[in-house]
Amino acid sequence: MNSRHALLALLAGGLALAALPWLLSDFLLALALSCVMYAGLAVSWSMFCGPTNYLSLATAAFFGLGTYVTAWGAGALPYGLSVLAGGLVAAGFAALIGAAVLHLRGAYFAVITFGMGELVRHGITYYEKAFEGTVGRIIAEAPESTTVYWMVLLVSMGAVAAAVLVRDHRLGLALRGIGSDEERAQTLGVNARRSKIAAFALSAFFAGALGAAMAVRWTYIDPLTVFNPFIGFQTVLIAMVGGAQTILGPIASAVVFGLLTEFLRLQFPYLFLVILGFLLILLVLYLPGGIASLFERWRWRRGNV
Amino acid sequence: MSLWFELIASGLITGGIYAVVAIGLNLQYGLMRILNISHGEFLMLGAYLTWLAHTVLQVNPLAFLPVVALVMFVAGVLVYRLCFYRIVSTAPAVEVIEARSLLVGFGLLYLVQNLAYLAWGADLRGYSFLVETLEIGGARFNLNRVVVFGFAMAASLALLAVLRFTLIGKAVRAMMQSPTGAQLVGIDTKVLHPVVFGAGLALAGVAGALLSTVFEISPAMGEPYTVTALIVIVLGGLGSALGSLLGGFLLGLVETFGMHFTSPSLKMVLSYGVLIAVLLARPKGLFTR
Repeated sequence: MNSRHALLALLAGGLALAALPWLLSDFLLALALSCVMYAGLAVSWSMFCGPTNYLSLATAAFFGLGTYVTAWGAGALPYGLSVLAGGLVAAGFAALIGAAVLHLRGAYFAVITFGMGELVRHGITYYEKAFEGTVGRIIAEAPESTTVYWMVLLVSMGAVAAAVLVRDHRLGLALRGIGSDEERAQTLGVNARRSKIAAFALSAFFAGALGAAMAVRWTYIDPLTVFNPFIGFQTVLIAMVGGAQTILGPIASAVVFGLLTEFLRLQFPYLFLVILGFLLILLVLYLPGGIASLFERWRWRRGNV
Repeated sequence: MSLWFELIASGLITGGIYAVVAIGLNLQYGLMRILNISHGEFLMLGAYLTWLAHTVLQVNPLAFLPVVALVMFVAGVLVYRLCFYRIVSTAPAVEVIEARSLLVGFGLLYLVQNLAYLAWGADLRGYSFLVETLEIGGARFNLNRVVVFGFAMAASLALLAVLRFTLIGKAVRAMMQSPTGAQLVGIDTKVLHPVVFGAGLALAGVAGALLSTVFEISPAMGEPYTVTALIVIVLGGLGSALGSLLGGFLLGLVETFGMHFTSPSLKMVLSYGVLIAVLLARPKGLFTR
């Protein structure tokens, strides 16, 4: 599938999803919202981490920064602008830390991106306590839930479109080259440092914008909820279970995870996570390419008949 | 003067525990590239085992340490065989092992932590053990913290000695330097990997058992120690046991002094600040040549 077909398919899918608020009840719409959000996060994560084989745990940091941009700008900025600003702040932050730490690989990179996220969280907590005298913030004027849904859908569609374009563009080739052998890619004329920073910042833009768009859902936000490492871990899990090298895989697994989480977690909070953990181990051991490898196997079999 | 002594001593006590937790994790990573994010959960299991033994059977926690170590060692061998063996033996590249073992680690984390919630609930549990105070050089400590420090040091040093002076220790070091070379001279991966993984969990279990004598325990107690251990092993250099020991002490001291002179809510900011500063200045860790 070339980019034009993929983008057309995306547009059709997006229009269909945009009609959901008229079809679904409030509860089901909230469910769709969380699926769409995780799909956007997982696609934006695998945009950078899939081809390069980097393991970034900074998603929670970008997401949290985005929500705080909305919280700080509440009242002053219109909703659409604060989503854009949230994305830009996260992208700027990613470019800054990317320039400092993207030469590290593997576990070092995972640990330091996780550390950066925690540092931002504790930094904001301290700042709010010491200078603003609060722990959390209340967002008084929230747009309607359908507006939030459309905004999150728009950002997630943007993430998928960007992932498609990056994949079929020079940048995507450069990232795949870096992922398989960075020195060779550099020898062949890839500016590895610039490509990595650009892609890292682009992927952070969508995570930040999603955070800024979701912030109004909570009405009360504090650093512990919005910088929740669980958001970052969940994103990585969804992307890797889906197959981080693909775009369709993370979307499919975001839907599966979103449905499982919302239905089971409320009823059996502990047992649900026990089962989730068990399933995760089984998946990694026996389906290491992720859900996407099922598609591929199926396509391969069909091609052979 | 006694303030300084007290701060240094309490930093070292905290650091001693960090070191034990981190050395186990670091051995697993250095040898097999398994970044076991569920390490802290096995620390929690060690703590609960000790608490059960103390409250149900009235066993002295210190006498129970070898049992905890043995149980966790066996658990480690089993976990390795069931979860990680397949990854290590089928993955095409080192980076793939890291990524997949991280995912399996998350799975184990959810599994073990929530089984503990199902079994024991979310309440804090605890018991009092050796609570009388001890006075050394004008500074006062709870006796249990001093005992914990002693045992943590003994466990760390014993492990360092095993690595340094015994044949199996030599095999482990050889394996870390060059996995292929070590296999060529006849070191058996199939024996060494599970044994080292088990040893790592045994250390985590011992750390948990020791912690249960001082602090209250809960199913979520392990996670912060996993994060701290990750910081410590990056500080000391991945794969270096001595580096982890020194890194643990360093982090303990930084936290204690930092919290005393700034504010307790900055504890994590300080640890991450140190981590980031070290990684930017010396990306391979403080104590590597």
